[in-house]
Amino acid sequence: MNAADDLNPEDFAEAAGAAISDAQGKADVAAVLAEAGLFSVSVPEHAGGMGLALDYSIPVARVAGEKQLRFPLVEQILLARAFAGYEIGAALMSGATIGTIAWQGALDLGFASHATFAGQASVMLVADGDGAALVDLSSVTLTLEDPLDPEFPQGEALLDGATVTARLDAAAWSALKAEARILLTAYVIGAAQGALNRTATYMGTRVQFGRPLSAKQAVRHHLAQMKLLTDVSAAALRRATLPDEFGQSRGADSAFVGAVANATFVVEKAIQLHGGIGFTWELPLHRSLRDVKRIALAMQAGAAAQALGAACIDAA
Amino acid sequence: MSFDTNITLPDPATGRAVYRQHARDWLAANLPEHMLADSLNWRAPTLDESIDWEAAMHKAGLAGMTWPVQYGGHGLTLREHLAVNKEVGALMMPESVSSIGKELAGPIIMAVGTEEQKSTFLPRILAMQDMWCQGFSEPEAGSDLARLRTRAVQEGDSWRINGQKIWTSGAAKAQYCFLLTRTGTVADKHRGMVMFAVPMNTPGIRVAPIRSIDDKESFAEVFFDNVVVPDSARLGAPDEGWSAAIRVLSIERATNRMYRPWRVEAELTFLIRACKSDPALAGLLSGSHARSRIGAAQAEIDGLKGLIESAVDQMVAGAPIGARGSLSKLYWSETHQSLVALALDMLGGVGPKSSPLARRAHDYFNNAYLFARAETIYAGASEVQRDIIAQRILNLPTELQA
Repeated sequence: MNAADDLNPEDFAEAAGAAISDAQGKADVAAVLAEAGLFSVSVPEHAGGMGLALDYSIPVARVAGEKQLRFPLVEQILLARAFAGYEIGAALMSGATIGTIAWQGALDLGFASHATFAGQASVMLVADGDGAALVDLSSVTLTLEDPLDPEFPQGEALLDGATVTARLDAAAWSALKAEARILLTAYVIGAAQGALNRTATYMGTRVQFGRPLSAKQAVRHHLAQMKLLTDVSAAALRRATLPDEFGQSRGADSAFVGAVANATFVVEKAIQLHGGIGFTWELPLHRSLRDVKRIALAMQAGAAAQALGAACIDAA
Repeated sequence: MSFDTNITLPDPATGRAVYRQHARDWLAANLPEHMLADSLNWRAPTLDESIDWEAAMHKAGLAGMTWPVQYGGHGLTLREHLAVNKEVGALMMPESVSSIGKELAGPIIMAVGTEEQKSTFLPRILAMQDMWCQGFSEPEAGSDLARLRTRAVQEGDSWRINGQKIWTSGAAKAQYCFLLTRTGTVADKHRGMVMFAVPMNTPGIRVAPIRSIDDKESFAEVFFDNVVVPDSARLGAPDEGWSAAIRVLSIERATNRMYRPWRVEAELTFLIRACKSDPALAGLLSGSHARSRIGAAQAEIDGLKGLIESAVDQMVAGAPIGARGSLSKLYWSETHQSLVALALDMLGGVGPKSSPLARRAHDYFNNAYLFARAETIYAGASEVQRDIIAQRILNLPTELQA
């Protein structure tokens, strides 16, 4: 029996949420997440995974964004899938090894950057020619100075003398990047959803002038727009993962471009509506803003929008 | 004009794509080129041409997809409705001249009408024999229909109606008006509302067209001066008919004109083709600014497609649609305004020596830009939709919670 016959991808959201909440209080985050199967959901059965499609990792990534998980979960899922069947793949899936991905730079260029939550990782995938190379981080000097997120900085490194422990060919690297678009889109949608939920709750309980702030039409309309854009992003991602009537698959490029723009609006507005407390470090809303902007910058969302426009122009 | 209407409709059960392919093939073979706004042979169709065209579309299975066969429909599902809408949207064809009948009057009659009313009115709407207008808004009652004043007084087996409606689209060409009245006074608020199907040639009805921002007379004031209709013109019982109509309209908001994202995409393609056709405009397309804005527009279009396809999947699965129609209404209207504003910007350099296609696009998008002002106002203004989302989807409190 195919497990997918009985399961809906959304069924994973609740379990993933519980596991992420549990992991956030533990020293060994990777072990808790691995134990809950979050790295193995979409790894083939022959490699020890659950054998489900990438669709089943989408709610996992979304919930991680919603709950502001400080761990390279999307990267770990992608690496576990890409290296499925190999020793390093098993180590990633079990959480024994933590991996990150440098979304910019290349081995042949001699540098890597925008490696998410790199401080927790021991291996890092980086582009190399048409493919990619998995670098042992103990062989390079990782710099963790990130003005966008000093607490959980993205990593960068010069790669002279880097030890490569595994490689992806061009097809596998290309596939991983396409999958990354999908999971990172889910992640930013989660970040927006979390910011919206927190803001709606706060606006409903924060009393000024004898009534909750959510009684104010200006506030209600901002929240309505935030809800609209969050739902639009989720619907676009869902559509991107479904084939059309003729069985043709659709790319996730436009879903990614839209989701980043929408999530930026939602999280920025969430901070605005919270007022002074929204600008503080104490309220962790800033983490969602950092998450969305980190992904936008790492994946070059501006260039992605231009590329999408160029594709429309070419196709017309 | 002549159309191929002697056809056997495909069985959607034979494959997911079969109905969409049917719509695509039939439109390609039958849509007159002069009705395509992105054709150099375009000219505005006459009302008779539009009526003939839409009647042919119905016979070809491209209208009334979800209406029951006994009332002239095709007895299919929202999936076929959506499939047709995708193909209708992909072509720059004219808007329906009978949208009020097909999208509002028909579904309301289906919900609250008597068997005789359904059998009489519904097939004639699809066959384009009757067009309808909507008599809801009044000078003192726009979004707040509880304030409407048009009064209906029962006199034996008939009703006497006095009052005024406004913003009534298509009133000058309509054969019928579905008219909202009240039996009491404004103090009754939502109580005592009664709907009627009123023939527009009834003595005492006067239509005064209103010139709109796009220099057309597409809507009107309609005055009812001692208009007498039989009780058989009443749609539903007092109050019951009105509350059912509100439910229907909520669903219709989610299902009407599903072609919109595909049409906005066709407009975007038209804009790009127009720029490509003109050496002075073509350079714009290689700039990062235009590429970013076009990319952002495509992302919005795909988001709107996603909203609509998700809603159809939910409804086909039997889930209540609730207030979700407000999301798609709000998003398509603002997405479209944004696209036509982009087009206006990009076509600003069109002049007497521009390419014919650029000039055609310039005319089209100037008009579209002006008309799009209406789209965030009619069928519930954007502000009303945001109120609905805040209240019914987000459930935001307005008072202190216990």
